[in-house]
Amino acid sequence: MRFFFILVFSFLFTSCVQKEPIHNTQSYVFGTLVDITIYGEAEEKSQAVSNEIIRMFQDLHNRLHAWQPSEITTLNQAFARGKTPVAIQPDVATMIADATALFRQSKGAFNPAIGGLISEWGFHKDEFKPIQVDDHKIQNLVQANPQITDIVIENGKAFSNNPAVALDFGGYAKGYALDKALAYLREQGVKNALINIGGNIIALGQHGDNPWRIGIQHPRKPNAIATLDLPSGWAIGTSGDYQRYFELDGKRYCHIIDPATGYPVQNIEAVTVLIPPQNNAGTLSDVASKPIFIAKPNGRNEAAKAMNVENFLVIESEINIQVSPSMAKRLTWSDKDTAKHVAIIQP
Amino acid sequence: MTRSTIKTTTQDHHIAKLTALAISLHVLEAVFPSPLPGVKPGIANIVTLYVLTQYGFATAAWVSMLRVFASSLLLGHFLSPTFVLSLSGSILSLTALFLAQFLPKKYFSVITLSVLAAFAHIAGQLLVVRLWLIPQTGVAYLIPIFALAALFFGVINGLVTYKLIRINQ
Amino acid sequence: MNAIKSQIKPLLGDWLVLIASLIIVIFLFQSLWVREPASKLKIRLADKVIGTYDLNQTRELHIHGPKGEAIISIQQGKVRFKQSPCANQYCVHQGWLSRAGQVAICLPNQISLQLMGAKSPYDSLNY
Repeated sequence: MRFFFILVFSFLFTSCVQKEPIHNTQSYVFGTLVDITIYGEAEEKSQAVSNEIIRMFQDLHNRLHAWQPSEITTLNQAFARGKTPVAIQPDVATMIADATALFRQSKGAFNPAIGGLISEWGFHKDEFKPIQVDDHKIQNLVQANPQITDIVIENGKAFSNNPAVALDFGGYAKGYALDKALAYLREQGVKNALINIGGNIIALGQHGDNPWRIGIQHPRKPNAIATLDLPSGWAIGTSGDYQRYFELDGKRYCHIIDPATGYPVQNIEAVTVLIPPQNNAGTLSDVASKPIFIAKPNGRNEAAKAMNVENFLVIESEINIQVSPSMAKRLTWSDKDTAKHVAIIQP
Repeated sequence: MTRSTIKTTTQDHHIAKLTALAISLHVLEAVFPSPLPGVKPGIANIVTLYVLTQYGFATAAWVSMLRVFASSLLLGHFLSPTFVLSLSGSILSLTALFLAQFLPKKYFSVITLSVLAAFAHIAGQLLVVRLWLIPQTGVAYLIPIFALAALFFGVINGLVTYKLIRINQ
Repeated sequence: MNAIKSQIKPLLGDWLVLIASLIIVIFLFQSLWVREPASKLKIRLADKVIGTYDLNQTRELHIHGPKGEAIISIQQGKVRFKQSPCANQYCVHQGWLSRAGQVAICLPNQISLQLMGAKSPYDSLNY
C-alpha cells in the first residue's frame, strides 16, 4: 500500500510542466523588424545579450545608412567630389574589400556601388511612392558604370576612380550584422539562438530537441509557402519583390536593380538561398540571392554556382517554382497544390 | 396535540448520528482552504461508504443527500453553484455506488467503492462545470488534476472506511 | 501506525481498480496537459469573450466583473490574476500561466483567462 502512494507521488512530480526556457526580443532596427530568440539561458543573460545585439545593430545601422547622414554618405559625397582620399574605419574597409570580392564572384550582379540608381528609383526612403523615372538619367547612370572595384583603399583611406560610385550596403549590411551577432553569441557562451533581421536568419544550436524551423514567406500571400529546418550555423536569405516595391500602371517595380540595365528586375517574385556554416554565412545569405534573382531564367544555375550556392529556391510565380536538388529535400510545402508546381533544376 | 406515532428505532438513531457526523465533517472540511477550488478530501464520504456497507444502499443514499442539503443550508450555499456542484457530484457518486455494490465482495473491498465513487463524483462536478458554469474547452486542463485528486483521496477515504469497518466488527 | 497498516489488506479486485485508475490518470495528464508555450490570451467576462491579447508584451489589464475590478498581469509569455475582489482568491493563487490550454478562473467575478497556443509551424519567418 505504501508503495502505491510513493508511485502516485513520484508521478505527480514528473508530470509537472516546465516553462520552456526561451527568450524573445523584438526591435525595430535597420529599418526593419529584428527578432532575437535565445533558448536555454537564464532570463538575465538572455536579456543582456539581446540588448547588446540590438545596440550593435543600431550602431551598424547608423554608421552604414545609405541615405541618412552616416559614414557611408560622407564617403559617397567625397567620391562624388573627386579623388581626395578620405579616412575610413577599419571595419568599413574590410566590408568594402569583402564586397568587392563578392562583386567579382557574382560577375558584377552584386554591385553595392549603384546607390545612385537606387536613389533615382525612389528607394532611398522608408516608404516609397510610384514614380516615373527619367529614362535619360537612368541611362546616364548605367553608362557611368559605377563599380565597387573603382574604390581604392590605401593606408586606411579611400577614394574612388569614378565619381558616380555611391555605396549602398542594402543587400549586404543585414547579412554582415548576422555574422557579427553570431560571433558575439558564441563569445558569450550562448549555445542556442535564432536571429532574424528583416527576414534574413542565422541559426545557432537548436530549439531544444529539434532544429530551428523556418517558414519561407509566400511572395503574394500572408502565410508561409514552405518550411525547412535551419541547422546550427546555417543562414537563410531571400530577395523578393514583395517587400520594397511600388506599382505603376499595373507593373511592379521592386528595389532590386539590375546594374546592367538600370531597371528593377521583372518577372520573378523571390529567390531564397541557404548557406552552410562558414565565417560569413550571414553575409552570403544576404548577398548570394541577388545574382540569382537578377539572372535570366537560363542563367540562374550558373549564377548560383558562381556564388557556391547549392541550396536555392526560385519562385517566378505561384505556379512556376524551381528548386535545386538539395534544396528540394529540405523543403516542406505548406500546400499540396503548391508542391505540384515545383520543378527541380538539374545543375 | 396528537403525539407523534412515528416510532424510531435504535437503528434510526444510529443513522441520524452518522448523518450528523457526515454533516459535521463536510462543514469542517469547508472551513479549510484548498489549493484548488473543487479539490477536497471529501472525508464526509467515509460516512456514506460506511453506511453503505452496514445498512445498504438506500440508507446510504439518504444519508448522503441529507448531508448535501443540510450542509449547504448550514454553510449558506443552498441553491448556489457550490451546492449544485456538490449535488451533481453526490448523485453521480451514488449512482456509481449503486452499480458497484454488486461487485463480488470476495475481490472488491470498500477501497474499490471509494475510488469509484470519487471518480464518479468529480465526473459529475466537471460535467456541471463544462455544461453550465464554464462552457468552453478550458476545463480539459483541469481534468487530470481532478482525476489525480479523486484517485488519491478516494484511496485514503477507502482505507479509513476499511479500518472503521474492521474496528466495528 | 504500522499496526493499523499491517491489518489493511486490499483485495485482488481493489488492486485492479487502483492500477487501472493510475493508468487512466497518467493517460489524462499525457494527453491533456499540453507542453506547448502559449502565445495568446483570451479573456472572458461571463461567457462573452471581451478581448484577445498577445502574450509577448508587458501590461496590466483592469477588468470589471460583477464583484468588482480584477487586475490581470501579462508579462512576456505568462499571465496571472494579480488582484481580484473575490473572497477566496483561488484565481490569484493559481499563479502564472504560460502553457497553451491553461485556464485560470474567478468564478465569483465571472472572469476567465484562457491561454492559446501559437500552433506555429515555424520558429521564425524568412522573407
